[in-house]
Amino acid sequence: MSNTSQTPSQDLPPKGGFSSIRYERQLPKRGPSGIAMFAILGGVMGYGWYRLYLGLDERRELDREKIWSRIHLTPMLIAEADRDEYRRKCAAVERERAIMKDVPGWEVGKSVYNGTRYVPDVIANVPIHQQPGFKKD
Amino acid sequence: MVNPGYRNFKGEDWVDPTPPPSNLPHVDEIGSTSAPLKSASFFIGSLCQEYNEDFMLCKNENRDPQHCLLEGRKVTRCAIDVLQKIESKCLDEFRNHWRCLDEKNQEFGRCRVPERAYNECLFRAFGWKKVVPDSPANKPQIHERTPLTK
Repeated sequence: MSNTSQTPSQDLPPKGGFSSIRYERQLPKRGPSGIAMFAILGGVMGYGWYRLYLGLDERRELDREKIWSRIHLTPMLIAEADRDEYRRKCAAVERERAIMKDVPGWEVGKSVYNGTRYVPDVIANVPIHQQPGFKKD
Repeated sequence: MVNPGYRNFKGEDWVDPTPPPSNLPHVDEIGSTSAPLKSASFFIGSLCQEYNEDFMLCKNENRDPQHCLLEGRKVTRCAIDVLQKIESKCLDEFRNHWRCLDEKNQEFGRCRVPERAYNECLFRAFGWKKVVPDSPANKPQIHERTPLTK
């Protein structure tokens, strides 16, 4: 206890302690936060989807308009085509009658099928005077 | 311009000049090209709806052309009547619209400007309105919307 006045020199921390060590990365904060970026991204995509919906909706309605305009015209076009087909069929039957007039027991215009269901002619009814190779007398 | 496969095809070989049977009543054919018909289609469809549906029900009974000649004549007369009415009051608007359709690949969506004048003229003259069937009721009709693109 007596010879302890002379304090031995010892390596000790400075008074008040060491200053703190910068061990963390310290970068300046730049740009929006992650949540904000997610929100912006979601907003952009949502707007894009909204525009896509509008475009699909418009296209669907345009298609509907086109289809209905064709549906409205269909009966008229069928009626016109039917009249023409009936007229050509009658002409073909008359030609057949003239050609087959000498054959006894020939039924003019008889269907080749056994049944009442309508079957359109598979061979075009070409007028005989316009068939290739036809020569006038 | 001839399609490649039809260079030597003579269309007149297939024309049958025989007149229709004389016991059938005469009916004028429409004699219109596709663009005027398309332009008038919604008015033909709404005004001739009963004749058209009658005709299609008749065709559903029997596909024989002879079976529905009577109904077909009514359909054609009704369509001619509608076209003549349109031409009597709105000839210029009608022509503008179907010429636009002819130029624009017959797409309604690209002829909204002449169509608007045409529909307005028909509404003023006859009170006819173009309605696309089965379109959603909570939204405006497609021909009354602002198009998304030019």
